[in-house]
Amino acid sequence: MFRKTMKVIVTFTTTSEALKMEKACRKNHIKGKLIPVPREISAGCGMAWSSEIELKDSLLKIVDENSIKINEIYEMMK
Amino acid sequence: MSFLNSKKGIFVLGIVAGLVAVMLAASGNPKNMAICVACFIRDIAGSMKWHNAAPVQYFRPEIVGIIVGALAISIFTGEYKSTSSSVSSLMLRFAGGIAMVIGALVFLGCSTRMVLRMAAGDISAYVGLVGLALGVGTGILFLKKGYSLGKKEEIRKETGYVFPLILVILLVLSVTTTFFVASSKGPGSIHAPFMISLIGGILFGILAQRTRMCFTGSFRNLFFMKNFEMITPIFGMFLVVLVYNIATGQFKIAPYGPIAHPQTIWNILGMYVVGLAGTLLGGCPLRQLVLAGQGSIDSVSAVLGMFVGAAMAHNFKLAASAAAKATEKAPAAAGGPGINGQIAIFVCIAVLLIIGFTGIKKGKENV
Repeated sequence: MFRKTMKVIVTFTTTSEALKMEKACRKNHIKGKLIPVPREISAGCGMAWSSEIELKDSLLKIVDENSIKINEIYEMMK
Repeated sequence: MSFLNSKKGIFVLGIVAGLVAVMLAASGNPKNMAICVACFIRDIAGSMKWHNAAPVQYFRPEIVGIIVGALAISIFTGEYKSTSSSVSSLMLRFAGGIAMVIGALVFLGCSTRMVLRMAAGDISAYVGLVGLALGVGTGILFLKKGYSLGKKEEIRKETGYVFPLILVILLVLSVTTTFFVASSKGPGSIHAPFMISLIGGILFGILAQRTRMCFTGSFRNLFFMKNFEMITPIFGMFLVVLVYNIATGQFKIAPYGPIAHPQTIWNILGMYVVGLAGTLLGGCPLRQLVLAGQGSIDSVSAVLGMFVGAAMAHNFKLAASAAAKATEKAPAAAGGPGINGQIAIFVCIAVLLIIGFTGIKKGKENV
């Protein structure tokens, strides 16, 4: 089984914003992946971005630089 | 609650959902239909005389139950939130809902029934699964191109109560008045007792809300993110129904099961429409009902589209007919859609592609 670690989870206003995030992270070599929005966060079925907690500042920079419309940023074991 | 949110938890809830489906079938619903959303919406449309296909008219309490169950559990957990996107988006969702149900009725069942048919050994349902996967795959191409029907805004919470309330009033009228018609033969005449149907529907709605059960969304996540979470409850449901069918001698590998047809191309294209529509609208027919209960006006719009589409499917002879073996009284029937239904499938695909390209345009405008 995979060991759970502390992650930063970013949710978005629309799916296309989530994909924009993925593209921007790939371009900037920031590790992470798209995941379904965790059930604990939402009853919806959108996509979220998940990265290790150490990358939080880099993610915020990416969001800012690319004007990605996010909903919330969470920190949780995943 | 944390266990129920885990993968094991949603698997267990999927098993319970399967047991509810089994209970409904054992209590009198058509065996491999149990809780088919498209079929039951079609039956309700017929009971209100939106169409005149005599064998498929009955006000199915399960549909009202699913919406009310989702509403109740989402209020209880604090997840209820009334939201809506723009009017133009609502209209696109309405059109998409029409297409989705026509696709389902050409296949003869929504994605829920497809899984129930698969669990009974119906090969034509596995053929439909190929179509569903292709449809979701096409939808993903649109998502990758930036498809979006716009951001949802939170609106007055009371707005989300309106649709469930109307359905509850109609349900009460269906048992207290003679306004509605009910089939005396055919699938519409085969149903569980009222209270069992209603309670079964409510339970199914609660379970579907908790697990976010979605047949198109689970494939989207599988293809797109290699994520198995959403498909877990569906697998649980499939297993239970499979075990039940094997244990009761109802599992039989056959080219097609009851109220189904073996027309490969139309089974694929019918479910292709469901897969594409489900991905573009953000949920399969079942998920649209649950989201409508949870306060999404976007999904109310899609569900209304499904009601209208179901009526169109029978009034315009778009729905497929079931295949049948020859009997002493009647010759064999090949089943499948007639020419109207065949044309309608291509119209539905065209409509969905227009929605897809409009969504790409909308997505770019939102940048």
